Amino acid sequence: MPGKRMTFVEALVEGIREEMRRDPNVFVLGQDIGPFGGSLRSTLGLWEEFGPARIFDTPISESAAAGVCLGAALEGLRPILDISFGEFLASAMPQIVLHAPVVHWLTLGKARVPLTIRTKVGEGPYGGHPQCFEAWFTHVPGLKVVMPSTPADAKGLMKAAIRDDDPVLFFEHMYLYHGVRDVVPDGEHLVPIGRAEVKRPGKDVTVAATAWMVHRALQAAHQFAAEGIEVEVLDLRTLAPLDTATLLASVRKTGRLVVAHEAWKIGGLGAEVAATVAEQAFGSLRAPIVRVGAPHTPVPAHPTIRRAFLPDAQGIADAVHAVMKYAA
Amino acid sequence: MIEDVKQVLAMHRLMVQSRVLDEACCEESAHWFPSQGEEAVPVGTFYGLRPDDVCAPAYRGAPIVYLMRGMTLEQVWAGALGKRTSFGRGRHFSFTAPIELRVFPYIAGDLGPIISQATGAAFAQRYRKSDAVTAVSFGDGTSNRGDFHEAVNLGAAWRLPIVYVIQNNHWAISMPIEKATAAKRLADRAAGYGIPGVAVDGNDVLAVHTAVQEAVRRARAGHGPTLIEAETFRMRGHIAADTASYRAPEEVEEWRGRDPIQRLEARLADAGVLSAEDAQAVWAEAAQEVGEAKAAAQRHPDILPTDLGLDEMFATPLREA
Ligand SMILES: Cc1ncc(C[n+]2csc(CCOP(=O)(O)OP(=O)(O)O)c2C)c(N)n1
Repeated sequence: MPGKRMTFVEALVEGIREEMRRDPNVFVLGQDIGPFGGSLRSTLGLWEEFGPARIFDTPISESAAAGVCLGAALEGLRPILDISFGEFLASAMPQIVLHAPVVHWLTLGKARVPLTIRTKVGEGPYGGHPQCFEAWFTHVPGLKVVMPSTPADAKGLMKAAIRDDDPVLFFEHMYLYHGVRDVVPDGEHLVPIGRAEVKRPGKDVTVAATAWMVHRALQAAHQFAAEGIEVEVLDLRTLAPLDTATLLASVRKTGRLVVAHEAWKIGGLGAEVAATVAEQAFGSLRAPIVRVGAPHTPVPAHPTIRRAFLPDAQGIADAVHAVMKYAA
Repeated sequence: MIEDVKQVLAMHRLMVQSRVLDEACCEESAHWFPSQGEEAVPVGTFYGLRPDDVCAPAYRGAPIVYLMRGMTLEQVWAGALGKRTSFGRGRHFSFTAPIELRVFPYIAGDLGPIISQATGAAFAQRYRKSDAVTAVSFGDGTSNRGDFHEAVNLGAAWRLPIVYVIQNNHWAISMPIEKATAAKRLADRAAGYGIPGVAVDGNDVLAVHTAVQEAVRRARAGHGPTLIEAETFRMRGHIAADTASYRAPEEVEEWRGRDPIQRLEARLADAGVLSAEDAQAVWAEAAQEVGEAKAAAQRHPDILPTDLGLDEMFATPLREA
């Protein structure tokens, strides 16, 4: 497939740019997204092309910004709300969890909320605002939640999110932002919301992962291949609604499941993934399910304890070893 | 003194209809939010707006605004009675309204977010370069939420075509406004946002209407928002069943003497525009209409367990793998 090599954030911006060119109702609203180019360059170049008629710098008012976008969506526009960092979603919770997701159902489909909310989470080069709160939103009916791991998916899911008529929460992992560069297909490249992807096939154990943990799982899988253990790496990509069909098919094949995410293990998405498999594919399991996630403390600042906190490739490897102890 | 007689008579009729409907709804449901005594604020605020303007009325007294936008009494009753024909088919409170009438519905039960959403409607009006405007009203209690500050500040900073109206009825459940803020007048808060703040007698429908229309003109002309405080009084409890034993009866009695409908009728009688018999006829007609609409709505079908709408969460369905 013809394409260009680009970073994760370049792919995100390209997805937004193409959709803004395609549809004059698409606009971006957020903090420091204009001439400044967005935190971590999240909107670089959009101001130069679209200017103040389509790119709106807001005061520090996450709640009002979310409400304005919801109101504009009810009036038929297609807002992209750039919430600089995931931690600030907490300031806009009523709009995001109580209001936006309810509208379509409440109005018997007469009103829709084509709203994309993008935000940054996770470990990154600057270390700031790292907390991963995506599980909060997967609990809420009516929200679609996506979290890509590659530049191609970043662009394809961004375009799908902007065209979607429901509120989509788009989690962008900060380590991937400038740290991952890969080929992004040219042209009309859309990745459907609600579909996981097998990144590497294997027959012995499924590692279902999100965002940066997908890369760490692939790293672990590579090492296990040398030991003769075939790890299947599943990138969940859409966290809500979960692609249970792909998940269950994988576990039915391998019989073993490890779930890995950077967010806290307790109450994390992994719990939902594990419970789904336990409920619907218990008979296929050859080993207990193991979850890899962060310990139950806030994300620490200093690198030494940050390293002790973050789930890593070693954590995934240990989990794979643990489930492989159960033979047959 | 009374410039447009037809308009004033129409507003009088709406206030009477609102009162009669509200009393009937209070009898029907102990959980209804009574609006008796506050009619001049929703009627004066939302009367005379264009069909392409967006209305986001405060929940208390909102049904009269829905009627003004084209909903029928029978549809309002379908909501109050929890019928299958109600807006949202029983999925939410009865006091929300069809969005296709350009009325923003109460999407969820928390107060405040609608102020930002209405600001978003004004944003969309500006984005589309239309000269439509948005009017949003909310209680004095709600004006203490952060939503109020963020939304009004943003609406003012961007000079959006919106009118913010505080329906100050002095009480937020059991919390009197004097204890909720040190501000003497809620309209004074406008100064902090750099927009005009106007305090009006909220029991004088013409005063409310004149102030709002002036603000609408400003908004349409691109001069940005106005904050209006309309001072009225919550004559009954928070809900129909609330006896409001937490407040002094004298306060309520004092306000009974300022009833907005009686005041308007006295004024119209003085001006020789509406006789006592004419007024009586308006009340009788309202009672008959409200009663007939209720009887009709009672015959509507009931909500079914299958109306839960499990498969109706999303507008864009997920593609099967
Ligand atoms: C965010 C939020 N907090 C509390 C409540 C509970 N509540 C419902 S009505 C009400 C009083 C509201 O007062 P006000 O805004 O003055 O309107 P009024 O009831 O007087 O018309 C309260 C506290 C709520 N619905 N939402």
